[in-house]
Amino acid sequence: MTAIFRPSANLAATLSLAFVAALLVFGVGWWWAWPRVDWSRHVRWYVVQPVPFSHEHHVAGLGIDCRFCHASVEVSWNAGLPPTYTCMTCHSQIWTNAELLAPVRQSLADNKPIVWNRVTDLPDYVYFNHSIHIAKGVGCSSCHGEVDRMPLTYKAKTLTMGFCLDCHRDPGPQLRPKDQIYNTQWQRSTDTPPPATLLAQYHVGGRALTDCSICHR
Amino acid sequence: MSPVSRQWRSLDQLADDPSFVSRVAQEFPSLADALAAPSDRRRVLKLMAAAFAMGGLGGCDVGAPGGHLIPAVRVPPNIIPGLPNFYSTANVVNGYAAGIVVKHQMGRPIKVEGNPQHPASLGATDVFAQAQVLDFYDPDRAAAITAHGLPADRQLLQTALLTQRTKIAENHGTGFRVLTGTITSPTLAKQLDALLALYPAARWHQWEPVSRDNVWKGAVLAYGAPVESVPNLAAAEVIFAIDSDLLSSAPGHLRFARDFASRRNPSRTQKMSRLYAVEPTPTLIGSVADHRFIAGPKELHQILVALAAAILQGAPDSAAPDWVGKVAKDLNANQGRALVHIGPDRPAEMHALVHAINEKLGARGATLDLVEPVAHRPVGQGAPLSDLVSDMQAEKVTSLLVIDSNPVYAAPAALGFAEALKKIDFSLALTLTPNETSEAAIWAVPMAHAWESWSDARAYDGTASILQQQALPLYDGIDVHTMVALFTEPAPPAAQDMLQSTWKSRMNGDFAQAWHDALANGLVPNTASTKTNVSLRADAGSQRPPAPPDRPLTILFRPDPSLWDGRYANNAWLQELPRPLTKLTWDNPLLVAPARARQLKLRNGDRVRLSVGKAVMTAPIWIMPGQAPDCVVALLGSGRRHVGTVGQNAGYDFYPLTGRNDLPSLEKAADSVELACTDHHNLIFDMAGDIVRHGSLLRYAKDPRFLAGGQQEPQLYRWKPEGPAAWAMSVDLNACIGCNACVVACQSENNIPVVGKQQVIHEREMQWLRIDRYYEGNPDAPTSYFQPMLCMHCEQAPCEVVCPVGATVHDSEGLNVMVYNRCVGTRFCSNNCPYKVRRFNYFAFAQEEQRPPESRNPDVTVRGRGVMEKCTFCLQRIAEERITSDRENRPLGEFKTACQAACPTQAFSFGNMADPNSEVARRKQSPLDYALLADQNTHPRVTYEARIRNPNPDLDGDGG
Repeated sequence: MTAIFRPSANLAATLSLAFVAALLVFGVGWWWAWPRVDWSRHVRWYVVQPVPFSHEHHVAGLGIDCRFCHASVEVSWNAGLPPTYTCMTCHSQIWTNAELLAPVRQSLADNKPIVWNRVTDLPDYVYFNHSIHIAKGVGCSSCHGEVDRMPLTYKAKTLTMGFCLDCHRDPGPQLRPKDQIYNTQWQRSTDTPPPATLLAQYHVGGRALTDCSICHR
Repeated sequence: MSPVSRQWRSLDQLADDPSFVSRVAQEFPSLADALAAPSDRRRVLKLMAAAFAMGGLGGCDVGAPGGHLIPAVRVPPNIIPGLPNFYSTANVVNGYAAGIVVKHQMGRPIKVEGNPQHPASLGATDVFAQAQVLDFYDPDRAAAITAHGLPADRQLLQTALLTQRTKIAENHGTGFRVLTGTITSPTLAKQLDALLALYPAARWHQWEPVSRDNVWKGAVLAYGAPVESVPNLAAAEVIFAIDSDLLSSAPGHLRFARDFASRRNPSRTQKMSRLYAVEPTPTLIGSVADHRFIAGPKELHQILVALAAAILQGAPDSAAPDWVGKVAKDLNANQGRALVHIGPDRPAEMHALVHAINEKLGARGATLDLVEPVAHRPVGQGAPLSDLVSDMQAEKVTSLLVIDSNPVYAAPAALGFAEALKKIDFSLALTLTPNETSEAAIWAVPMAHAWESWSDARAYDGTASILQQQALPLYDGIDVHTMVALFTEPAPPAAQDMLQSTWKSRMNGDFAQAWHDALANGLVPNTASTKTNVSLRADAGSQRPPAPPDRPLTILFRPDPSLWDGRYANNAWLQELPRPLTKLTWDNPLLVAPARARQLKLRNGDRVRLSVGKAVMTAPIWIMPGQAPDCVVALLGSGRRHVGTVGQNAGYDFYPLTGRNDLPSLEKAADSVELACTDHHNLIFDMAGDIVRHGSLLRYAKDPRFLAGGQQEPQLYRWKPEGPAAWAMSVDLNACIGCNACVVACQSENNIPVVGKQQVIHEREMQWLRIDRYYEGNPDAPTSYFQPMLCMHCEQAPCEVVCPVGATVHDSEGLNVMVYNRCVGTRFCSNNCPYKVRRFNYFAFAQEEQRPPESRNPDVTVRGRGVMEKCTFCLQRIAEERITSDRENRPLGEFKTACQAACPTQAFSFGNMADPNSEVARRKQSPLDYALLADQNTHPRVTYEARIRNPNPDLDGDGG
């Protein structure tokens, strides 16, 4: 009786099995790792904008406060983007002919808004509110990173639900004194009041911050 | 323990029809057909595999930041990104205003709230006001001027109007006619008077399809002037309503409902009022009456004559039923605290008699006031339309201006308006949406929506409001004031300037400040009509109403509770709103009494042939328990032939039968149709029938807690949410009049989609809040009860334990929350919900809706296909208050859910139960408080206050 399989079939079978095993390991690894990789959440991806606005220049260089442009951050869920008029408060006086600023001048002349590309975007079923975080001692840089070191703005944190929950489970260490909220270089140091003091000072703790209904409606 | 009673919703349920019972016993009856269909295993496996694959793909998140951010070039004043703005205006129905406040998000109107300062609203709204959001964004609205059916523009219109002005001026207005609805706008009244002064031979015709002519004519018979009678139900202890629209559609009905409800809960009012109602077909006021009597037109006549005899002459008539004498005795015994009200469908002589009765009962100055007329020249509405048509037929009319009126559709067909219109050289129809009249007129001009232009109007008591512009026009519409002015001058001032010139002389003090205040408050102070001192004419009490002809069948034409005279037919929220008493949607079958249905062997949906003289039409029927056997009710407003994609050909048009005196006849036709009725949807199973608890005032006086919820079952495990607040609701069944305002308010606030007639038939309607209407007793004359049903937010929620993915969970403040993103659509939760308040998105209903995304509430997720949803207690409003109070470091304040805010009778009370001073905590202490299906141990956070009736011991020993 002749053999059904030639000897080389052994090799083929082994290789196939190894390939399937490798695929399985790789697949599971991918499935596990992909959501955990910053790159997949577009962290540190620069976004091209119609005007290459530099936070580094305006914040670190000129010392303009965040609230000058993001004016509604203390009262609304929406931090607000500066209207063209805000840009033109200065740029009608300085850099009036700069090529880079042509779209801004055009926007004012045509009464057509500038269309910026989103850098951070939360899903529509998440209702993040800027005002309450500012009021309770969460600084801008906690989520937006060192914006004053960004020539072009990029997303600094993953902003996944896990990222939010890390803080909502234990907000104390993320809180900072009231006068440091808009300081994007702030770091917790030995002078910083302990988390428990800050929690008491901001009256944080009454609510179950991990309830679904805190962020989802 | 509460009395065990048999409560039923639909006649099939009462009859225990076996097919009905087995159908509704399933959670998803519409799936029965699909499950029964044979399918081979291979196909099932293929479909399952495909579903897994698609489901897996659908769960993938691309994670890429996308989209754009577009800041304004210059931020308009008072706008902060993300925060709403509120601007007051008024909603005008049939000429009468009720104050509203429109909520804007970044300049876009998204929600209507009542105006607490306005006397006709007091913070409440009706269904029409709520649904204005959808009307405003309606893509079917008239967008362009047409002439002879061809596109035209303003330039062409101006040229045509120039010719008209010259021609009309030359012959002093001969042949020029204006047709409008009821007008209360002081500015428009002034303009029309000026127009008629300029063109003395011109005539102005006033006409409403649902007319209040009898009311005004009755006042003229009784007092010699069309004075307006303004009831004060808060002062009335005995009320007799004769075929009345007091709580449903009379001008000021929201206010009347509030005042009425203030005397209906014995745990909060000193003395509960007593309401008698007599009517040929059930209405809202009849449904909440302590004694409801059924009477056709002929008996109504006898009853009123007997009542007049008993009260005015002190000698009851023996021909009338003997209850009339007892009611008269009760009314007489409550001099100065009694009120009789009669609806606009009864003849003017009856109204005059009622005026005389009220005077005799000392009602004037106590339970009602007579004030100067509110409408501009109200008397004689019906006659002028027939005059107009006869003049048109005689070719005496050369130019006709129709303002926001639809006579081609709604005028009595016997008049022949449509044919007469063809004889006119120049006809111009100003309409919001293209309709039958704009189609037939030579010029069709789009009208600016009330939110796109300036106007003014007066409320039931005369209080004037300025209707301010809410948004820039979406379409190139012309407002009413400009249109009228264009007939006198080529370039009239802007509507806002016309308004200011009217009000400059009528406002006191600094005009700029007074104008600003009037806009901010939504009303002009001290503009209510003054009380009149006219005295009753001597012959008012001796009026003899003409006896109705003795006919075996009378057709009653009534406005549809949702579509009114047809003007709201293109509004999907209103079309899909289950009508208060029939729970029908998208349709208007002929309503017949159970006795007549038995006689003709008719079942719901069977078609009948209804003929009046030469007019014949075929329509399905619906059996209406509690209707007079000699009456059938035809609801007007459906069957529009030219209206837009939503209302086109939905339902049946009964207008062709109106205005005829022939003897109607009714016979069974061959077939039957399926009707979209929600009455048997979401049935609650309770063997004891202990759903709506009710009892009599006498028993309440003996033991106030006789209806209170029984003992909770003992249990091993009890978990109570321990958050800083405990959100809860109490619903007062004594207050609910079933008006549906809450349902539309909820739909508007929570981005709830409509599903269409076919899906309603499949039991897939999406409204989170429904009002169940229960009957008890004999189907020929049952008593009815309303019960608003929404998610009970059970502390021990049966839905939560069966969810395999944790998509419905409890939060620390006692909310049963729905996490849409976790939901995979198993529908186990709905199956396990004893209250049947969960709704499933069988299709992408929201995405398929024809409404722009900017019309939605941005604070609420728009749910996708395959997701379960339900009432969230307006979580977005809770979150807003939570955040604001935390930001300001203050305790939680009071705020209202959408249903609570809209409710005219304050039946809902919502708040933090953990705070003993909150309204809801106080209401839950009421001796009437009970939990629905308490034996299921769900510990619902929504509880009800049982309904107490106050029957006359002379008529009914116990009544409860």
